[in-house]
Amino acid sequence: MTRTWNTSRRHFLRGAAGALVPLPFLNIMENTAAKNLAGEVEAPLRFMTLFKPNGVHPPSWNINGGTESDFRMSPLMAPFSKHKDDLLILDNMGDFGFSSHANSARRFLAGQSNNTKAASMDQFIADKIGGDTPTRSLELTTEGLFTNQIGCSYISYDQKGDPIPRESDPQLIFDRLFRNPMGDPAQRKKMTNLLDRVSDDAKSIQRKSGREDSETLDEYFTVLRETEQRLENMGDTSAATKVDFTKLKRPLPAANLDEQVETMLDLVALAMWTDQTRCISYMLGNSNSRMIFDFLGVTEQHHYLSHFFRNFSRHNIDGLLKISLWHMEKFDYLLTKLKSYKDHNGTLLDNSIVLFGSGMGHSDNHTAQRIPIVLAGNGGGRLKTGRYLRYSENQDLSRLHLTLMRQFGVDIPSYGEATEALPGLDGGEFDQFEERPFDSWTKVEGGKLTVQGRLRMSENLDEAKVFYMDVAGQDSVRIEIEFRDFHSFNFPYHVGTPITLTGTVSEKNGRQVMSKISTLKSVFGNSKPGTRNG
Amino acid sequence: MQHRCFGRYWGLKFKSSFLCLIAVGLCFSPMLAQADFEHEVLPFLEKHCVKCHGGEKTKGDVDLSKIKTMADADSHPDLWETVSFVLEDREMPPEDEAQPTEEEVAVFSKWYKNDYLGKIESKPGIFQPRRLSGPEYRNTMRSLFGFDLEVNVVEAEQTITEKSLVMKLLPTDPPGASGFVNDTRAARLSTTIWDQYSYLADFALEQFSSKRTGPLNSETAEKLVRDFVPRAFRRPVSEDRFSGILKKLEGKSGDALEVALKAELKTVLMSPAFLYRGFLMPTDPKRKRQPVDDFELAERLSYFIWEDMPDRELFEIAGSGELKQPEVMAAQIDRMIASPKSRTLAESFGSQWLLLDQIKDQRNDPVNLKALKNQPLDFLHYLFAENRPVMELVDSKVTFANDITAKYYGNDRKQLKRVNKPKGVERMATPNQKIDLITSVGERGGIITMPGVLAMNEGPIQRGTWMLRQLLGEHLGEPPPDIPPIQSSSKGKNLSFRERFEQHRSDKSCALCHDKIDPLGFALEGYNKAGDVIRKEPTKKKGGIEKVSKVDTSGQMPNGKAFANFTELKSILMTDEREKITRNAIEQTMAYALCRKLERGDRPTVDALTTKILDENGTWRDLIHGIANSVPFRETLNVKKTLAK
Repeated sequence: MTRTWNTSRRHFLRGAAGALVPLPFLNIMENTAAKNLAGEVEAPLRFMTLFKPNGVHPPSWNINGGTESDFRMSPLMAPFSKHKDDLLILDNMGDFGFSSHANSARRFLAGQSNNTKAASMDQFIADKIGGDTPTRSLELTTEGLFTNQIGCSYISYDQKGDPIPRESDPQLIFDRLFRNPMGDPAQRKKMTNLLDRVSDDAKSIQRKSGREDSETLDEYFTVLRETEQRLENMGDTSAATKVDFTKLKRPLPAANLDEQVETMLDLVALAMWTDQTRCISYMLGNSNSRMIFDFLGVTEQHHYLSHFFRNFSRHNIDGLLKISLWHMEKFDYLLTKLKSYKDHNGTLLDNSIVLFGSGMGHSDNHTAQRIPIVLAGNGGGRLKTGRYLRYSENQDLSRLHLTLMRQFGVDIPSYGEATEALPGLDGGEFDQFEERPFDSWTKVEGGKLTVQGRLRMSENLDEAKVFYMDVAGQDSVRIEIEFRDFHSFNFPYHVGTPITLTGTVSEKNGRQVMSKISTLKSVFGNSKPGTRNG
Repeated sequence: MQHRCFGRYWGLKFKSSFLCLIAVGLCFSPMLAQADFEHEVLPFLEKHCVKCHGGEKTKGDVDLSKIKTMADADSHPDLWETVSFVLEDREMPPEDEAQPTEEEVAVFSKWYKNDYLGKIESKPGIFQPRRLSGPEYRNTMRSLFGFDLEVNVVEAEQTITEKSLVMKLLPTDPPGASGFVNDTRAARLSTTIWDQYSYLADFALEQFSSKRTGPLNSETAEKLVRDFVPRAFRRPVSEDRFSGILKKLEGKSGDALEVALKAELKTVLMSPAFLYRGFLMPTDPKRKRQPVDDFELAERLSYFIWEDMPDRELFEIAGSGELKQPEVMAAQIDRMIASPKSRTLAESFGSQWLLLDQIKDQRNDPVNLKALKNQPLDFLHYLFAENRPVMELVDSKVTFANDITAKYYGNDRKQLKRVNKPKGVERMATPNQKIDLITSVGERGGIITMPGVLAMNEGPIQRGTWMLRQLLGEHLGEPPPDIPPIQSSSKGKNLSFRERFEQHRSDKSCALCHDKIDPLGFALEGYNKAGDVIRKEPTKKKGGIEKVSKVDTSGQMPNGKAFANFTELKSILMTDEREKITRNAIEQTMAYALCRKLERGDRPTVDALTTKILDENGTWRDLIHGIANSVPFRETLNVKKTLAK
């Protein structure tokens, strides 16, 4: 991954929505979509899921405060905040306790980590809708197998609960989707010509050969004959394979992970739009990913950094956040791509449900609570997007899965431990999390500022030492914290919660700024959580 | 029940069956033997053997009743080595039958050694064209194109990735009768493999054209074709062939030329002349036997030492006609051994011979696994590439270790230079370093007691069997299917596993093999499952009383030589068993080099080379040169032509 990064390698599908895609494609969706009772063509519904490895850094991910429709997206969400109207951000998802990496990968699509004898929800969906497309489903990844805990490497499981092999190479996926040698007449003709030519070769060898050679040649001739037979048997197949894909440019090998993932996401969108498949799961890495993001200038492994208390340093947090932002950018990339394709009366995203997230929450202490889960696309009107749902209590992922599967017509009474759907996704009522009310204020005494309010990180994650205290009815107080205070008060632990803070005060650009802290008190919780595994 | 068979040349290597004694059908001309088979040997066989091995009973599927003349004897080449073995080891006739006298046995042995073996003629085999194995295909494509066909996947530490597209897509080749996967006679081409070849060829050509710098026009296309095609076929190509290809490109330019060129090159890559070895060698129909030509010789050398096609230098020397000059050939072999590409000798040949693919890590951790596997591979590469004596395989003062395997080497590990892990990398596979074995040489010198090798064989029986088959080259049969389980220790008796096992296998038919297996295996009882040396004898608490189960590593070889522990056994292996081990090493290397099971005509080469290596404490380099200069490697037998269909 040391080659320089070169975006031009990938431009085979770049540019305006499908500008490089040949014309006949524009009619594909008409041909393949189902007609509803009124005879109108209904867009097919697609399912995509993008798995983020190694949980999250909660202080920068969590949304704190706000309401269902009026909320501030967190600093980590910045890369995809432009899609706010197309998102359904879920909070308080998960089950009780802690999670291993292998468990978190299983939980992500199978509801609970102990749901090991059942298919993951994407496979239920694929079973239901996969028969309508040339490829039933795709299971994708970026990274090799972590054999020590094999479960870390899979999110998709078959009906027996066994892992489904994943593919990482965009070229192989492109070839599988669009270069099937038996798939189109041009490819078949090429193979027929080849068979004639090599058969001549083999015959000329045969003329000179001895008995032993002849036996070996027989096996060669047999294969030629069988291949010829197969070509003859390939008559016209489904409508989709009649489309001439030969004008699509095959992607070049990716020079680094970023190119690999973006190219794959290009293919995900193209596969969906050309209706080659309607169900794809994609892991951005193993659930305990050991990848090194050297192209971001980060030389530590992702998993090492994700333990941001255990391996605490400002430098490490920076690295972790760079990687996390990169994940968010890829999610944005996919959404932007899906929106760029017209599909029936809307965009491809409108006719899709995209599930983005992880299988654990806090990446350092492995909690299975407040797991990051974001849905995108309204699924042809099935979901009401543009909202933030923070449930009053932990909701098992299996409830979400049950609900989504039903949207795809999967008719099952229960999934994992869930027997009831997760309320609220369609705009219906749900039990909302209610915060204890608290006052917020500032006062200056003896040259020191005391402020009570909610602590949050700067939206600019490059400003690692900048935090804000939100106070009702006035400008937020800016905290430019020193490393010593950051560490001794365990600052990130309190992010999102109301605290009372006392320290030095100065003014910059008309805003109060605090830089040396003398006391920190939590309004409701424990002020001194300890220094490790907070 | 007897369930064994010998026959080093003809017995099946891994899973021999009861039938292996007579399953032979080699063509060779009967020859005249001087000794009186009919008057001296035949009566002996009739007296002591035919009762069970002929006529009514044919135990072990051995039927001696049809062998009446020396010509008959010659047509059962595998048989006599076995007969000689069982007689010398006093395995046959069974104890409850009348035993032959020493003189009677000596008469047979004399006939076998002088009149039978002594008169075998050195002969080449029939080189049967065979498909490139998966690794050969991978390496050949790499050398031909100048780049690897790679899978786009991130290789992170602690994960397992298949980076080679070829290995990912092609089905794994089964080992052939020789035990090696380059012996692909039985791994037939199938439509599945055909489709993958076709896909891989397209994949490579696509990448090839995208990497090309400079314009593509009729001139550059012709240059490319004239370079590519002979290298793909590993020999010069006729002008006819070139013009056939060039005609297809004629008058084309731009995309049309690109498409036509790809189609032509794909035809080359799908031709039997590329996918198989040995089709294109010119033969002289008037001669029954002839030296292989220089290009075939170059190809044999490079697939033997590199598992790859000849490089440009070797190809050019073959073209110059000088390869067969002894100094030129010797210099090429030395150059090839010195090249990093000769690592395949360890990774393919060594690994397949010694079954090193079976090395596992108990926690399935790729970092540990790499450490355990690379140890024997680095060691083998050192033996092969650095001109080490053949017998150092069994005992050496050198090993290779990294931070993970360091713990096995006591004070000797202090020689390891510290490798600093980069910050933020939790665990990583560090490269091995060469260390001298000073304090741990007795416990650890040689391949047998490398931790991964010890750990891959569970328990003394597997360990003993591995030593016997892989190092001493004995062809044990499979155990019978109906063996009862080993009894657990009965009440009041505190029997060790060894004592219980000895009761279990006391049956005479078991003893045939276990007398050989067990002493070897139990000598390694001083090493636990993970390959650690057991420093303290394990204790078991039973009813409050500590019981020590004694580790008994003593034993006795079938020839009566006793030893107290593994170190003493190792000196027996280095002396008494030296010949067997050397011979087996030569046979294994030769079968790999020839890509086939050894045949009768190979015997003189093996004999002569064994003697030479034993006399001179010969090295692996000597062995490789010896094989490359042998009749079977350098000549071919021309088979009768039949009319093409």
